[in-house]
Amino acid sequence: MRRFSPEDKLFRNQEMLSTELDQETVLMSIDAGAYYGMEGPARSIWEQLATPMTFSSLVDKLVEEYRVSPEACAEDLQGFLGEMEQEGLLRVG
Amino acid sequence: MSLHAYWAYGLRIHAEIVCPELPSPPESAGDPDVTIRLLPPVESVSESLENRYFEVRPGVFQLAVPGVGQYLVEEGNRISVEPVAGASPEAVRLFVLGSSMGALLYQRGLFPLHGSAVETPWGEMIFVGAQGVGKSTLAACFHRKGYRLLSDDVCAVKSTAEGFEVLPALAQFRLCADAFERLGSPQGARFDVDKFVVPMGKGYCPEPMPLRAIHILAYHESDIPEFKVLRGFDRVQRLVENLYRPHYLKGQSTQSDLMRMAGMIAKQTTMAEVFRRRDPEALDELVDVLESAWAERFAANPVKEEK
Repeated sequence: MRRFSPEDKLFRNQEMLSTELDQETVLMSIDAGAYYGMEGPARSIWEQLATPMTFSSLVDKLVEEYRVSPEACAEDLQGFLGEMEQEGLLRVG
Repeated sequence: MSLHAYWAYGLRIHAEIVCPELPSPPESAGDPDVTIRLLPPVESVSESLENRYFEVRPGVFQLAVPGVGQYLVEEGNRISVEPVAGASPEAVRLFVLGSSMGALLYQRGLFPLHGSAVETPWGEMIFVGAQGVGKSTLAACFHRKGYRLLSDDVCAVKSTAEGFEVLPALAQFRLCADAFERLGSPQGARFDVDKFVVPMGKGYCPEPMPLRAIHILAYHESDIPEFKVLRGFDRVQRLVENLYRPHYLKGQSTQSDLMRMAGMIAKQTTMAEVFRRRDPEALDELVDVLESAWAERFAANPVKEEK
């Protein structure tokens, strides 16, 4: 899986459909024929990415929202964003 | 070839084969929505199809069942059947009314769930769940208690301006031998391929009804039945898992509409897991538990007056 650099710009895949169910966001990928459930931090990452931003600005936003060190946050994001990219939810520019 | 007129899933069907499973149309006149053609028999199913068993393309569905026949479903309005010479009419029909009709529902943008639908004062209640968990037997328990049923196998959900409704399907149950005996070997039944077929008679509801709740029936070890409302993403996931022939969805021209519809159904419909113990007696008891759960949950907002 890729390692993101702080300057990598992150974009939502605009073709995903989404709907809100209770406290979760459900994303639908028509291409993959798959559904994804996002709750908690995953959901707020997806919401932040409504505006495309760099990896480091996303870390800054999340550090404001959650009690987490920038280092730990960046490390967790590496894994999670990598999965999102693999599933086609995210594009990196 | 004479044509037989039938009515199911809100569709007027003209068939070149006799389908005792299908209800008669409410009025005789009118052009069909769907035609079922019987083509001359073939020696065996074509090899190119045999290897893949089925194929989905936009507007086209093909299925080959070795020793039974090959089926072509087009544009949501035509089913063509080429039986294998010597195949029994029951077996040939099974894949018309099951697989082919399922594919046709997808082509028409209807959302087909694998389960039973019971009409209640609170709206239509659908029961889905794994094979052998007792969906049909539970439906038959409701039927015996005087409820009307819309379907016992495939519940087609239609999107309307007011919300979602369930379309009436076949007017019969398909019961395994055990359930058949337990229900006291109901009158008018016949054995067909692998199940006992029991007509619903007056207990069939021929009109579409508003969808109220979807229940996922499952076993658990406890003696006490449980009614557990699903939340969040689970609702979509469990809904899609219980589609009728879910592998027929991908490749349909209606795929994106149906995926979006799954999200909307999950959002607007109560979805609950219902747990029962393994003992067959559990189902009669479950009927009472469900009636209480519905009365409590939906009493404030019945969809129609009590009878």
